[in-house]
Amino acid sequence: MTAARKKHRHFRDRFELMDALILIFLLLMAVIIALPVINVLALSFATQKEAAERPLMLFPLSPTIDNYFRLFQDPRIGIGYKTTLLIVLIGVPFNMLLTTSLAYGLSRTSFPGGKVIFYLVLLTMLFNGGIVPMYLLMLQLGLTKSLFSVLLAYGVNTFYFVITRSYMMSLPDALIESAKIDGATEWRILFSVILPLSKPILATVLLFYAVDRWNEWYNAMIFLRRNDLIPLQLVLRNIVMDSSIVNSLSIAGPHVPRFTEGIQSATIMVTMLPIMCFFPFLQKYFVKGIMVGAIKA
Amino acid sequence: MATLQETKKPRTLKEKLLHTGKRIALEKERYILILPGLVWYAIFAYIPIFGLTLAFRKYMAKLGMFGSPWIGLKNFQNVFADPAFFASIVTTLRINAGRLIFVFPFPILFAIMINEVRLGKPKKILQSIYTFPNFLSWVIVASIMINILGQRGLVNSVMGALFGTKPVAFLGKPDYFLPVIYLTDIWKTAGWSAIIYMASISGIDVEQYEAAEIDGASRLQRIWYITLPGIKSTILVLFILAVGNLMSGGFDQIFNLSNSATIKVAETLDMYIYRITFRGSVDFGFSSAVALFRSVINMLLLIFADRVSKAVGGSGLLG
Repeated sequence: MTAARKKHRHFRDRFELMDALILIFLLLMAVIIALPVINVLALSFATQKEAAERPLMLFPLSPTIDNYFRLFQDPRIGIGYKTTLLIVLIGVPFNMLLTTSLAYGLSRTSFPGGKVIFYLVLLTMLFNGGIVPMYLLMLQLGLTKSLFSVLLAYGVNTFYFVITRSYMMSLPDALIESAKIDGATEWRILFSVILPLSKPILATVLLFYAVDRWNEWYNAMIFLRRNDLIPLQLVLRNIVMDSSIVNSLSIAGPHVPRFTEGIQSATIMVTMLPIMCFFPFLQKYFVKGIMVGAIKA
Repeated sequence: MATLQETKKPRTLKEKLLHTGKRIALEKERYILILPGLVWYAIFAYIPIFGLTLAFRKYMAKLGMFGSPWIGLKNFQNVFADPAFFASIVTTLRINAGRLIFVFPFPILFAIMINEVRLGKPKKILQSIYTFPNFLSWVIVASIMINILGQRGLVNSVMGALFGTKPVAFLGKPDYFLPVIYLTDIWKTAGWSAIIYMASISGIDVEQYEAAEIDGASRLQRIWYITLPGIKSTILVLFILAVGNLMSGGFDQIFNLSNSATIKVAETLDMYIYRITFRGSVDFGFSSAVALFRSVINMLLLIFADRVSKAVGGSGLLG
C-alpha cells in the first residue's frame, strides 16, 4: 500500500517538475516578447537623465510627457496620422467591397468563363509582376504622388478572397434561391442575404485588411514621395533612421541636445497604439481567420 | 437554370454559341457583380504581369511599358553579367535556408509547450502576448529592435550588468546580422505560427494520450510518440511551403533592419531589385529582367512545393 502510494507520488512529482519547467519556458518567452515593448513604453515617458542612469528601466520613476510633447511639435506626426487614417478609412471599405462581391460572385463557377476567371484570380498567388511594373503602371496612370496609387495598389488580397469565398460557399443555397424568386438582383442578395450571414468571416477579413492598411508603408514610400503625404509607419521609419544616423555620427562628437531615444520610443508607441488597444479584444477573430486558412490550405 | 438543363445538348457550333449566349444572358447579374473585382485584377495584377515583357525591351519613358522597343535578351545578358545579381541570390538562399533551420522549428516547440500546460485564463493572456507582435509592421518591430539593440539599449545593459561585457553593436556588424534576423523573426512570428500547429494538435485523438498514461508513458514519451507523429503531416506541408518561399520573403524585415554596415550580407534578391530600381541610375528594362527572373523562379518553387505537398498527402497550395 505504502509502496504503491509512494510510486504514485513519485509519478506525480515528476509531472509537476515537468509542468514547472514548461511553465518557466512559457513565462520566459512571454517576458522576452513583452520586455522590449515595455522598455520602449517606459523610455517614451522617461527623462534623458533617468534613461542614462537606469538603462534597464521598465517603469520611469519620474514620468514625463515631454517626449510626446516634443514629438507632436513635429509636423510629420500630424501628417502621418492624417495620411494613415485616410488610407484605412477609404482603403478598407474599398478592399471589402471588391473582396466580398468577387467572393460571392465566384462562389459558383458554373457560369460561362467562371472557372477560367477563378483560376486567373488564383494564379496571382503564384505569379505576380512585383514592384517594378507596378511602379511604372502608376507612373503611366499619373497616380504617383497621389494617395490613389496607395489605395488602388492593394485591392483584393487573394488569400482573404479564398477564405471569404469558401465561407460563402458553405451558406445554404435555399436562402439565395428564395431571394432570387422574390426578384432580388445579385447585388441586393449580396447585401441583404449573404453579408449578414457571413458576419464571422467578414469580421476576420475586415480586421486583416485594417491591420494591413494601418501597417502600409512600402507602396507609399515608392509611389508618393511627398513631404505632405506620408503614412505614420514611414514617419516612424524616418524619425528612427534619422536619429540613428545622428547617433552614429555623434559617438565621439558633442552630445545631441535632444533625447532621441525618448522621442523615438514615443513615435513607436504612437504608431502601435491602435493595434495594442484593439488586439486583446479582437484576437479571436484573427485566430479564426488563420484556422479557416489552415483548413483550406 | 432548370429550363437549361432540360433542353437537348447543343450539337452544331451555332447551337453551342446560342446556348452559351443564353447562359451568359441568364447570368448577366453575376458578371456585373464580379466586374469591380475583375477590373481590379486586370489592371493591378495582370497589367504588371504583362508589364514584365519590359524585360525584353529597352524602356523609354515617352513610349511607356508596352510601347518601348524590343531588344531581345540584351537585358538578361546585362543581368547575368552583374556579379551583384548572383551574390543576391546566394544571400537570399543563405538567409532563407537559415530560417528553415533556426526559425521554422520554433512554432512547433511553442505549440507543444502551450498544449502541455493547463492554465485556463492565464493561458489566454500568454497567447495574446505571443501572437501580438505578428500584427506590428516590420517598421515598428525594427524600430523597437534598433532601440533595444543599440549601444545603450536594453540588451547591452542587461549583458553588461550580468556578464560585465562591453556594449556590442548588434546591428552594425555583418557577423551579427543573420542571428538578429532569425531572432527578430522568431520574436515577431513564432507565437502566431504556433496557432496552426495547436489546431493540428487539438485534432489528435485524446484516447491515445489516455492509453499512454495508463501504460505509464512519461510526458516526453507522449510528446515524442503521440504529439509529434500526430502533427507530422502539418509540419511537412508547412516545411515544403517554406521551401517554396526560399527565394522570396523577408524584404520588409531585411530592409528595415539592415544598414550600410550590414548591406553586404543583407542584399537579397528583393533588396537588389529595390536598389537597382529606386536608387541611383535606373534602367527599368534591366530591373524588369531581374523581376521576371524572380517571379518565374518563385512560381516554379511554389508549384514544386505544391506537388511535393500533395505527394506526401497534404492538400497542397491550391486546395
